[in-house]
Amino acid sequence: MNKALQFIIYTCCILLSLPQLANAQDRILKGTVKDAKGETIAGASVIQKGTNKGSSTNIDGNFSITLSGQNPELVISSIGYATKTVKIGSVTSINIVLQESSSMLNDVVVVGYGTQKKSSITGAISSINNKDFKDQPVSNLAQSIQGKVAGILVSTPSGTPGAGLSVSVRGASNPLYVVDGIPMISESNSSLATSYTVDGTVNGKGQNISSIADINPDDIESMEILKDASAAAIYGARAANGVVLITTKRGLNGKTEFSFDSYTGIQNVSRKIPFLDSKGFIELQEDARAQDLRRYNQDPLVFGEGFDPTILTNPLPASWRTGVNTNWLNEIFRSAPISNFQISARGGNEKTKFFISANHFDQQGIVIENDFKRSSFRFNLENKVSDRVTIGTNSSFTYGRSRRSFNDNTYTGVVTNAIGASPLMPVYNPDGSYSEYGDFQASWLSDNPVKSAKEIKAFTNNYRFLGSVFAEVAVVKDLKFRSSFSTDYSSVLDDQFFSPITSDAVAVSGKALKGNYNSLTWLNENILTFQKTFNEVHSLNLLGGFTAQASKTERSSVLAQGFPIGSGLTNLSSASTIVNAPSISIPYGLVSFLGRANYAYADKYLLSVSARYDGSSRFAVDKRWGLFPAMSAGWVISKENFLKDSETLTQLKLRFSYGLSGDQEIGDFQYLPYYIPSRYDGIPGLQPRNIGNRNLTWQRNKMLNAGLDFELYNGKLSGSIEAFKGNRTRLLNEAPAVTSSGVYTQTTNSGNIENSGIEFSLGATPVKTNNFTWGSNFNISYIRSKIISLDSDNQLLSPYSDLFNTHILKVGEQVGSFYGYKYLGVDTQTGDPLYSTEKQVLGKAAPDYFGGWTNNFKYKAWDLAVSTQFSIGNKVYNLIRATYQTLGWSDGGWDENNELQQVYANNATIVNKRWRNPGDVTDIPRASMINANYSQESSQFIEDASFLRIRTVNFGYTIRPQSKKSFSSLRLYVEAQNLYTFTKYYGFDPEVSSTGGGSPNTAGIDYAAYPQARTFLFGVNFKF
Amino acid sequence: MKIYKITLLFLVLISALSCKKILDVKSQGEVEDDLVFTSVDGLRNARIGMYGSLQNRFYYGGVYPLLAESYSDNGSTGGYDVVDLNSIKERNVAANNLYVRGVSVAIYQSIYTANKILENADKIAGVESIELKNIKGEAYFVRALAHFDLLRMFGQHWDLSSPYGISLKTKTANPTQSVARSTVQASYNQIINDLKQAAQLITTYSGSQYVSIFATKALLARVYLYTKNYPEAITNANDVISESGMFSLLGSSNFNKIYTQKNTSESVFELKFTPQNQSFYNGFTYSRSDALRSDVQFLASESLKTFFESRTDDARANLTDFTNVDVSIEPDGRTEKYRGETTLDNAGYILRLAEMYLIRAEALGLAGGGLADLNLIRENRGMSPILMSDVADNNAFAQAIADERRAELNFESSRLFDLARTQTVESVLGTGVNPIMPIPQNDIQIGKGIIKQNPGY
Repeated sequence: MNKALQFIIYTCCILLSLPQLANAQDRILKGTVKDAKGETIAGASVIQKGTNKGSSTNIDGNFSITLSGQNPELVISSIGYATKTVKIGSVTSINIVLQESSSMLNDVVVVGYGTQKKSSITGAISSINNKDFKDQPVSNLAQSIQGKVAGILVSTPSGTPGAGLSVSVRGASNPLYVVDGIPMISESNSSLATSYTVDGTVNGKGQNISSIADINPDDIESMEILKDASAAAIYGARAANGVVLITTKRGLNGKTEFSFDSYTGIQNVSRKIPFLDSKGFIELQEDARAQDLRRYNQDPLVFGEGFDPTILTNPLPASWRTGVNTNWLNEIFRSAPISNFQISARGGNEKTKFFISANHFDQQGIVIENDFKRSSFRFNLENKVSDRVTIGTNSSFTYGRSRRSFNDNTYTGVVTNAIGASPLMPVYNPDGSYSEYGDFQASWLSDNPVKSAKEIKAFTNNYRFLGSVFAEVAVVKDLKFRSSFSTDYSSVLDDQFFSPITSDAVAVSGKALKGNYNSLTWLNENILTFQKTFNEVHSLNLLGGFTAQASKTERSSVLAQGFPIGSGLTNLSSASTIVNAPSISIPYGLVSFLGRANYAYADKYLLSVSARYDGSSRFAVDKRWGLFPAMSAGWVISKENFLKDSETLTQLKLRFSYGLSGDQEIGDFQYLPYYIPSRYDGIPGLQPRNIGNRNLTWQRNKMLNAGLDFELYNGKLSGSIEAFKGNRTRLLNEAPAVTSSGVYTQTTNSGNIENSGIEFSLGATPVKTNNFTWGSNFNISYIRSKIISLDSDNQLLSPYSDLFNTHILKVGEQVGSFYGYKYLGVDTQTGDPLYSTEKQVLGKAAPDYFGGWTNNFKYKAWDLAVSTQFSIGNKVYNLIRATYQTLGWSDGGWDENNELQQVYANNATIVNKRWRNPGDVTDIPRASMINANYSQESSQFIEDASFLRIRTVNFGYTIRPQSKKSFSSLRLYVEAQNLYTFTKYYGFDPEVSSTGGGSPNTAGIDYAAYPQARTFLFGVNFKF
Repeated sequence: MKIYKITLLFLVLISALSCKKILDVKSQGEVEDDLVFTSVDGLRNARIGMYGSLQNRFYYGGVYPLLAESYSDNGSTGGYDVVDLNSIKERNVAANNLYVRGVSVAIYQSIYTANKILENADKIAGVESIELKNIKGEAYFVRALAHFDLLRMFGQHWDLSSPYGISLKTKTANPTQSVARSTVQASYNQIINDLKQAAQLITTYSGSQYVSIFATKALLARVYLYTKNYPEAITNANDVISESGMFSLLGSSNFNKIYTQKNTSESVFELKFTPQNQSFYNGFTYSRSDALRSDVQFLASESLKTFFESRTDDARANLTDFTNVDVSIEPDGRTEKYRGETTLDNAGYILRLAEMYLIRAEALGLAGGGLADLNLIRENRGMSPILMSDVADNNAFAQAIADERRAELNFESSRLFDLARTQTVESVLGTGVNPIMPIPQNDIQIGKGIIKQNPGY
């Protein structure tokens, strides 16, 4: 690698030191670009036609360009305006007026390793620009595209501050994120598992801390999502799940513009599950006993031999009549502030442009003792060393710190315990100590939830540096060479301490975990681009390149126990025992060659061919190289003679594409069998980790895409329809192995999943007058994934290692299908629940349709934006409801005197609809203390989670002073996030996924995930 | 165009130089399979790893013995209303039960580890023959133990003529290929042959935490008892018992040292855990003094309480806790054999001397003088001997043996298998209770007809 670096540096030096070519006929032209209202336009592109000479306007709309040749023509373009071509005579200064346009055809779209005009795109690429989201703050960048892009399902699996969003591109989860050209590590890297079983074993990943949260959303200029294989194939081996290209803000030529953006607000849990109070709790128990007694009197034998009915009639113990009435959700939820400050400056001159920003984000959790803070800095700089050489950097540093909520998403967590906790239990004893959870009703609890929240302290700190330096050289006319070095450094420190008074650590007198994760990725990219238009009609763009990437990840943690009680010490050296200290170091490398050719004839017939050749260290020597070709073609029908002059249909383009991309996300070193450290009797040794599979190779993702783009009345109405069919074959998956292999699963290439769908998006500007504008965007997608073949059929899956199987992978069904007994309702005569005798497929987690509708209104200085999101046909396995719909069941809870001691858990008020008398028609069975009148393994708790959500409502007022001397603009706004959700789902939130949304196979589980917040903000955008 | 060519040339050079280096990375912190068995040290490491594999959470790290126990009348399950745990106490286990699959995977992992050693040990140069023989012997033992534990849990081990034995694995090649089940007789043959090999190879004794000749004979005695080959059972049990210098019974006042100390004189083979290498027994069965039913996964049953209530002098009753616990656990209780909430290093009791006496007693039978061995155990546990006159017939003697085994070996994976091999599952656990676990559903699916499910599942 070092040698490779040296060569690159030499190459760059040689290129940089080339003598500059001078042209005797050069002359300088100055000018100003304004809109129809006379407002200057900053950042407009000014290019001399037929050359690579270009400039852009500064903040005051001024530009200066060096022209060459005879009869020069200038092409002036800017986002949101119609492109204009101007013939320049012999003038030395010029004023240009651009007309506003709703057309997006001239928008420049970032594609892999380059940019393209939207009008010449032939693949399926969705683009979202800063202007679409800049006025509506978000805490995670993925929220900016939530509900706004067809084919992309962004869901919020948990309301945990700093948690990741689950992004699925055309039904495939976990796309590749590329930030300013750097493919970024996007998974959760914290070694802190926050899900434990009662014996202390890690049983699930719990909430994740997404490393995408390291990117400050305020720094983003645009996001492009490469959806089809032809667009994504240029990222070859990592593109199977789509690619999200993130471009940060760049400097601008002109007076430095400062901008201060800030908001502050308050968050509250958006929906609380209503629970029974003490009175309702006692009433339910009395009903349960009365129902059981009635049944006993009818037929004592059903209660078994020796059943003593006095437990059905004894008066409730004294502990039931203390008058305590705790609302546990109120004890663990709170109103929590959220705030964000960003100051940035962008400016520059002909030679040097920069963008710098500093940001601080502080979000308190709506669950007590939980927060997330992030500070980030960005420095983007570009310098024109000469006419032919440009150098620059895009770098950011982020520091994040969160105090994490204990055991989010599993059965011993703060939220989970609060759900089951009895209203008869006080939070504190009269002496101020925490009340003992075992002394009150509800055996579901594993600890006093307030104690867990306060006495288990888990912090995750992370430091992230993402940066690149680059040099761009015009080697000869039309041929550009760009070389860049990038690095992605990430360090995550976990620090968790269980106080000795918590039930998780009382036996061992306190325990602590310190985790350390370090990852360093180096990336070198060298790209040659050739662009030329021949005879004014044949436009050709060629790209070739070589990239090499190497990374090393180190992970270690130390688990210690036994801390001196009362000392308050939590440092590892004060522990009596170091229990475990695993560490691992994993290198990884990827080498790629890539090429692409775009040809357009008169902007009418478009053709693009690309290929990437990737070599990955994750496969055996003879299996590691993969070729990922793609091609696409477009026909701009509106440029044909018969439509050329149409004023209605101003753009009509038909596109087809076919491509192949790959997936290699199996973790490192799966292809060989390995032995891992082991120990016995104090002696170190080695024991097998896996059985390997030397045949492992790329997963293949083929996709055929057809699209139609249209614009009517110059963009007053525009839209596209896409249809696609993709097959993911040779699926890299953990195929279940026969147990006699000694392993649960083997990583294999097997199976075939078909994803197909239709996406429709429509943008319109129904009203546009001088004072009032209404813009509207709507999109809807229908995506279905069907399993065509599997390594072995009918695979049963469980999201938790110790629960039971909730999902099935079955040929012909969708990925993420639920499996269990079908709930057949309540017997109207007995009140007993009825179930099917055979287990069956019970629906799926993925929606049938999803999309969003956004409306923007502008009246003079006022603006209002309302965005909504919907999802239809998705189901959620509400596992936690099996706790709060237990209908008075007592898990063996009576003592030696036959007095009732413990019931299982408190119930939600939905049980008030329960069956009470013969003839009652309801779907909630009768209450019973003895029988569990519910079944976790049935569709009783699989709920329709379709929803329509009013995601944001933003209302603002902008002041633009006449004189820009004092400041250029000030916008004040109020915003409501997650204002209201229309849904029948009974849990906290229909968008939930307790497994974090990262594994589609076991998606759609609600195990009391951290609920989402409703947020009200007040904010200011100030430019000066 | 010169610069163009130079650039390209450089690109090619760079790629040629860096590709190999970037792509040929080595995993750090683990060792490639091929490199393990290249030296004596590697062989020694693999031997330690083999013991490590026995410590798996689902094998002798906890689940295997406790699952069998909770399915029998000795135990019950707690936990948070976990379906797959509940079905164990209800003795209605589905073929997709996560615990059952975990057990099967873990046991076969030990077999794989042992097979690796057996396949590679002879290829290593420079190993002293005594050490080599010992290591191979230990591997044969582990393979036999693991196959036997599978047979007891998944095969009709009480019926030598049954086709429902287990999938025997004696090679590591093609690990994911399904292997048809051998007959019970063939399964026993493999187990006994492996143990005989082990008995010939092992010559040294390094403590009861390691496999020894005595452990081999003890396991042989047990296996012969299961096959009702009583003479061989007696011979092998004799061989262990007569090593009085090595093993001796503790008395009624101090026998609970077995559970509070490590590798006592009663242990023939005891899997040792340390605070840095913990087992799961305590977490599964005790957790905390104030634990609730939901905190404890494997409980002692009310039936075990009733059983000890009828044995007033039995000191072993103190190893169960039915009163001083949170009432939510009642009417069940907890075993006290796995205390030590801070260290969590409770041992896996695989073979104990007391069991040898009980095997010999059973094999000798009432007529052969088995009562003496039985009484020896009783006396060392604070109980009065049973008189010849108290035992009416062979059935009564068999019941006395069964009771003694229950009292001595509860929560040490014996009860369920004893009930099955003495054909008393139906009378004790109830009609319709399957004496064995189902073959994991995945195996049936993957095997596509090669692997047959057990009758009744």
